[in-house]
Amino acid sequence: MAGKSGREISAVPEGGLKEKLLTWEGALILIFVAVNILGVIISPVYNATNVLREMPKYLAEAFMVFGMGYILVLGDIDISVGSIVCLSATMACFAGNAGLPFGVVVLVCVLTGLCCGMFNGLIATKFTELPTMIVTLGTQIVFRGIAEVSLGSGGSISMQNTEGLSLIAKKIGPFPISFFVLLIFAIVFITLLSKTTFGRKLYAIGSNQTAAKYAGINVQGSRFFCFSLLGFLSGVSALFLLSTLYGANTTTGNGFEMEVIAMCVFGGIATTGGKGNLIGGFIAAFIIFCLKIALGQRNINTQLILVIIGLMLIVSVVIPGLGSYFGAKKKSTTK
Amino acid sequence: MKKKSLWQTLTGSREMSLVAVLIVLLIVITILSPSFLSPTNISQIFRNNALTLLMAIGMLCVMLTAGIDISITSTLAFAGMTIGMLQKYDVIHNTFLLFLIGTGIGIVCGLLNGVIIAKAKVAPIICTMGFMYIWRGMAYVVSGNAWASGADVAGFSDFGKEGSPGPYIILIVAYVIFFIVMKWTRFGRKIYAVGSNAEAARISGINVDRTVISVYTIMGLLAGLAGVLSVSIYASAQPNMQYAKEMDVIAACVIGGVSMNGGRGSVAGTFLGALIIAIIAKALPLVGIDAIAQNLVKGIIILAVVILNVITQRMMDHQNLVRREM
Repeated sequence: MAGKSGREISAVPEGGLKEKLLTWEGALILIFVAVNILGVIISPVYNATNVLREMPKYLAEAFMVFGMGYILVLGDIDISVGSIVCLSATMACFAGNAGLPFGVVVLVCVLTGLCCGMFNGLIATKFTELPTMIVTLGTQIVFRGIAEVSLGSGGSISMQNTEGLSLIAKKIGPFPISFFVLLIFAIVFITLLSKTTFGRKLYAIGSNQTAAKYAGINVQGSRFFCFSLLGFLSGVSALFLLSTLYGANTTTGNGFEMEVIAMCVFGGIATTGGKGNLIGGFIAAFIIFCLKIALGQRNINTQLILVIIGLMLIVSVVIPGLGSYFGAKKKSTTK
Repeated sequence: MKKKSLWQTLTGSREMSLVAVLIVLLIVITILSPSFLSPTNISQIFRNNALTLLMAIGMLCVMLTAGIDISITSTLAFAGMTIGMLQKYDVIHNTFLLFLIGTGIGIVCGLLNGVIIAKAKVAPIICTMGFMYIWRGMAYVVSGNAWASGADVAGFSDFGKEGSPGPYIILIVAYVIFFIVMKWTRFGRKIYAVGSNAEAARISGINVDRTVISVYTIMGLLAGLAGVLSVSIYASAQPNMQYAKEMDVIAACVIGGVSMNGGRGSVAGTFLGALIIAIIAKALPLVGIDAIAQNLVKGIIILAVVILNVITQRMMDHQNLVRREM
């Protein structure tokens, strides 16, 4: 069924807490708890205050999970988001250093992202024969290329007027502002995907594009919208990234695309389209953040996190496959 | 049968049009900078792009089965870093053994990819993305925050140093072998069959799973070999080597006419695709474009090539329709 978790762990009876826990999202919450327990065990300074203090560094990435989730549900992929973040951050820095008011800087940052996304969408919808992987591979290089050219030989730029940025880096109570913004975005986009006709249409397109087209759904329009949305969210990401980095260079956002896709997939969204929901991706993002913070505090070789993320990703996609593999075997033997 | 016009031969075959593009490119560059086609320059182009050229063959095989492998540069780093460390701590200095170990690591990495993709039916991009993280992380773990410098790998780097024929021999051997395998052996045709229509291939008796596994193993082998070669050519091993360069390899294949939907592509096309990117990158500074703009130009070329390809394909389909109606 569209909209249900992309991964079924096993056949469980309807209703009850047991069923809730045995969905992929339930499993993710358990993993989230486990990661936090692990954090407390391995690091003496792993507590709420410290985690929240280090959170803003990572939160920026989570904005893109929503857009990427939409794109993956459509059965497309976008590997240019890291470059869009880089370009948006660069342009925002240029705007800020030109003395423009902070409101305009925000607008520049977000609009740059939106334009990049629209460009992706335009090519993807005008040349439907092309796999979106190839389109965004090209634009990935182009967007970062534009950033590289505008950054010049130095290769980096820093925001001179940091007043506005420190404003959005502020905290309300213990929580950073970006956390609340993220929460609002999460509610809006999760509802949009799972409770509205628009969201249903995305699942329909992802499950069977041709059928969706003949059912009267504006396939290319929806795809264009989703690519633009992801571009816009990358711009938002870039803005919050700037509020922790106060500058940009040619490697800003390097590898973000893969991390965001990994979060989505770990959250149960299938890259083949039509399956999964955003709640999983949202929880998965926080699992990865907490893991990063915990390992970072312990000063464990920070690159070990790569191995762990990779293993989690592979195990999470292999388990359902194994389940059906053994299930099929069982059925054939009992016959 | 009517003889094909020159235009039809050029647009009909991907390789011919690539050769035409290459010739035009070379003529323009030679006019702008007459010294471009000097033997040293050409050998430098091949040496500097040996890794991309080598891995592009493996990527061709993978993409022919409608798959993709983005873990290759991580495999490269893991294999390269391992043999770098083996030399740094004076465990092994035998060039042949080091090649064997590096390639062996690559084969294991590729085999794992293949088994998970074929048996657990995981989407290739997701599986290889997982291993992209794992092997890159392993490269860091193996390195232990150190790196192998030129002094550490002295002796071994003689194989790939400037003027040594080593990298060229590997490239030539690899391309000759794969040209023959893909064109004239049963295994090569099986790969095309699986990529064109996996279901039909299965019904006609091809072991699809085994073909997919061997394709990823080949990719891993070449990535491991490229890792060893990289240590030898650049006389150093860092855990972040060739980071994010897998996209270059994929781009070379795409420009060379390999279809991401599988079943279409050739060794010659891949070679020409990789060569065109390499030549453009080398020529940009010579024709007065800043090295900074290199990526921008490269990206625009990739986009232009794939879009042009779609447009010509549409025109050809349209013409065919018109002809049939007559």
